[in-house]
Amino acid sequence: MSTSASPAEPSASPPEPSTSGNSSQKEGAGEEARDDRNFECNICLDTAKNAVVSMCGHLFCWPCLHQWLETASARQVCPVCKAAISREKVVPLYGRGSSDQQDPRENSAPRPSGQRTEPDGSLFNGFGLGDNSFHLSFGIGAFPFGFFTSTFNLGETRPSPAAMGTPQHLEEQFLSKIFLWLAIIFIAWLLLA
Amino acid sequence: MANIATQRIKREFKEVIKSEEVAKCAIRVQLVDDNYTELKGEIAGPPDTPYEGGNFVLEIKVPETYPFNPPKVRFITKIWHPNISSVTGAICLDILKDQWAAAMTLRTVLLSLQALLSSAEPDDPQDAVVAKQYKDKLDMFEKTARHWTHVYAGGPCYNQEFADKIKRLEDMGVEENQARVALSSYNWDLERATEQLFSS
Repeated sequence: MSTSASPAEPSASPPEPSTSGNSSQKEGAGEEARDDRNFECNICLDTAKNAVVSMCGHLFCWPCLHQWLETASARQVCPVCKAAISREKVVPLYGRGSSDQQDPRENSAPRPSGQRTEPDGSLFNGFGLGDNSFHLSFGIGAFPFGFFTSTFNLGETRPSPAAMGTPQHLEEQFLSKIFLWLAIIFIAWLLLA
Repeated sequence: MANIATQRIKREFKEVIKSEEVAKCAIRVQLVDDNYTELKGEIAGPPDTPYEGGNFVLEIKVPETYPFNPPKVRFITKIWHPNISSVTGAICLDILKDQWAAAMTLRTVLLSLQALLSSAEPDDPQDAVVAKQYKDKLDMFEKTARHWTHVYAGGPCYNQEFADKIKRLEDMGVEENQARVALSSYNWDLERATEQLFSS
């Protein structure tokens, strides 16, 4: 098509640092207004409600952005900088004040939720054994004796279990659980046969 | 949702009035009706173009779905430009069509139109006749555009030769604007313009 125009960035002047503590009421109000402008939704130009921010850093109300994504469904671009944008890749902003007091506009889907990554830790508590140091080994050797030694862990010193939280510890937990289930299946098979 | 359109136009209107371009008289916005659905825009012809010194009036219609859909804009002032229809004033500009983005405002639209006046795109024309002249006879195009700017937009450059030719067609009973379009389309060749006017 014809000429491309670059969409203008809202040119908010950087807030001036207050030099003294006893600035007048009027100055304070001006600063507040300027601060508010920094948090305007780029679509409705009002202070962003249910705010979300795109990966390119542009702030919107979620209802506004949702409607934009619905309207321009063939071309999912940021309304400000035209970078690729998608519903999954916007980040909601949770301020300290309650965000529930705002009226969610009609026809707007719920705002995407934040994504939390769990810190590293014990992920395999699935069997509910509680005691993480439970170990079970299983082997087939020279039948009566090998069975005894391997079952009751006699006569050999075993390396101590890896420290909690390390990848090795997780791996050991996982393997021991697999072997536990194998043993249960094996015993069940023996009983049925 | 008409509410969000009105709300936004109100905010934009306040913003555009305060903008520095308005202070420099480069762009202007006026309300046409009280419910903010139709506005009148004005842009000054950019310097060093055939449109310099002209003042171009635009009709801006704000759809209910604004700002998710672009405003409908057309030139009310007649203009000779490859991307603007010399008959209807319809504009061929990507941001008013599929390249629209919701963060664009009246101010950016008017500035984009001003930019369009200084950089025409003859390969993507709205008015094929103008675009052909722009590509083949740039000199003739510039003279014609300057003449149109003088007549319709209050530009400073009077062209005696063109005025005389239009007068001669008027003497033959042709309406002035019609005569101007015919002459402009035929590179101010009086004979061919006359032929075209009287053959149809």
